[in-house]
Amino acid sequence: MQRVIERLLNLLAFLLTAERPVTAGEIRRTVAGYDQDSDEAFRRTFERDKDVLRQLGIPIRLQHTDAWEVEQGYVVSPSEYALPDPGLSDEERAALWLAAQAVRLGGQAPGPGAIFKLGGAPMTGAGEPLAADLGDDADRLAEVFGAVSERRELQFAYRGTKRRLYPYGLAHRMGHWYVVGALVGAGEVRVFRVDRMNEATAVGDAGAFRRPQGFSVAETIPDVPWEAGEDEAEAVVRFDPDVAWWARRQLTARARVSVDGEGGLEATIPVSSVDAFIGWIIGFGDGAEIVSPPEVRRRFVEHLTGIR
Amino acid sequence: MTSPRTAHRLSRILAMLPWVIANPGAAVDEVCSRFGYTRAELVQDLNLVFVCGLPGYGPGDLMDAYVDDDEVVIDMADYFSEPLRLTASEGLALLAGGMAVMSSGTAPDALGSAVGKLQAVVLPEPGSIDVEVPAVPALVGTLKEAAAAGSVVRITYTSIAAERTTERDIEPWTVFSTLGNWYVSAHCRLADAERVFRIDRIRSAETTSETFQPPGETPRAEVGYTPGVDDVRALIRLKPGAHWVTEYYPTEILDEGPEGTTIEFHAADPLVAARLLLRLGSEAELVDGDEVEEARNRLRDRILSRYGVTTP
Repeated sequence: MQRVIERLLNLLAFLLTAERPVTAGEIRRTVAGYDQDSDEAFRRTFERDKDVLRQLGIPIRLQHTDAWEVEQGYVVSPSEYALPDPGLSDEERAALWLAAQAVRLGGQAPGPGAIFKLGGAPMTGAGEPLAADLGDDADRLAEVFGAVSERRELQFAYRGTKRRLYPYGLAHRMGHWYVVGALVGAGEVRVFRVDRMNEATAVGDAGAFRRPQGFSVAETIPDVPWEAGEDEAEAVVRFDPDVAWWARRQLTARARVSVDGEGGLEATIPVSSVDAFIGWIIGFGDGAEIVSPPEVRRRFVEHLTGIR
Repeated sequence: MTSPRTAHRLSRILAMLPWVIANPGAAVDEVCSRFGYTRAELVQDLNLVFVCGLPGYGPGDLMDAYVDDDEVVIDMADYFSEPLRLTASEGLALLAGGMAVMSSGTAPDALGSAVGKLQAVVLPEPGSIDVEVPAVPALVGTLKEAAAAGSVVRITYTSIAAERTTERDIEPWTVFSTLGNWYVSAHCRLADAERVFRIDRIRSAETTSETFQPPGETPRAEVGYTPGVDDVRALIRLKPGAHWVTEYYPTEILDEGPEGTTIEFHAADPLVAARLLLRLGSEAELVDGDEVEEARNRLRDRILSRYGVTTP
């Protein structure tokens, strides 16, 4: 391991200071550690080394060595390599590290690599973990996040249909990740659930699109399903005393609530998706009743009488 | 083969070098604490850096790296004076973790400012990522403490779908959160078996003075459902819009086609299936399951009678 790391440090030092593309041949002749006897042995070693560097996130690119485009060489540009300094204090680094350990992405706890890059933090007691699992496949999520952060087009299959999306943002709600973006060519803004995407891949150049001014993913993704949609209704619901506690735990701050003498609840609830709202109210069985508006009440009854 | 340990070691060296360069005179202890090194590991890595550098590889080309009077000294390594940028998964893990803790309402001020600063360097524009985890139910603290102390807890638990509220004594093992909800896994004395309870459906919990011996090895905390012999079964045809049911409920897919999916649905109580069918409306069709059909019709009629509608 020692020799591998020495060779990789030498290679990286050489690439970072070269200020021009360097060919594999030049690397073999110049950098210490590439004294393999055969061409084949060199090639294998060099391929492996490039993989390790890429795995660490080092941006190693191929570029033509001259204007005639005859030969290609490797480049690591110092400005692409470097992390812009976010200017974190020790206290902020420690808070980030604690928080990162409290959650899981795709079942994995994050390693300390990221916090090391930011300047490290005491690796001592993590305190009480929040133990929240943010779900989903970590690799797929990273691919989507990479597309958002580099503003690249995202391609994926969704319920059997191929989609091309300019991803504006990523949000986590109620155990699921959602990506919001504009369909390429259509401009229409849509929301997709990340765990339902297949073969998500970022393609094309960085900076492929601009977001609408003032876009905020938090405002695009609703807190509860019945707040997502294009309907505009305000429903008044009566919850009986024995389900009132359960309703109260699910209502968002946008609902207005009043309590009657027996512990029942009357709630005025903004509804953007009547269908989702009906599904939610059915969950209360006969312990809840939609009082108004008549239109929502009628659709609720129709939904139930249509079942056979 | 290059082992993950190689990558990890190189990555730590590439992070440690710029920090020491930016903080000359740093004490060995401080560097060790920041980067999770033992003193011996740090010295080993410094010795390794000491023999690396630029082509020529003579005294003027190699980096200087050593410990002097308990201070870490790095010199002649300007090309490693900047830390490496974060990968997408690293940036996401830090931001998502930070935002999740913030949304739970227990974050120190420093976390909010850290997340803001990090977003500014990782994302092109503000407002590109948002993470909310459900508010931590008030009883999580009580249950965690009871689990740590090995105290039996008396809970009032409501199964919403089965419309049953029961009082039971549980021996809480692990409190965890997944898919947007908080759960406690426990030995339930009422059922005399292991059970997982959704904490937001526990109406009240009271820690008793009785203690229990926790199991030697705590079973893996997860939400699952094992069909039992007394379960009711129903054959349901789902239209494409209701396909999500297969991802949320314990079902067996019998047939899948472009027009829909046919599933076998298991539940301990027919009301669970009945309620689901009512929610799905015309998106689902009950093909077979007398007990479920009866429960569904009864529940539907009970709801409708509240709206002044009687079904023939």
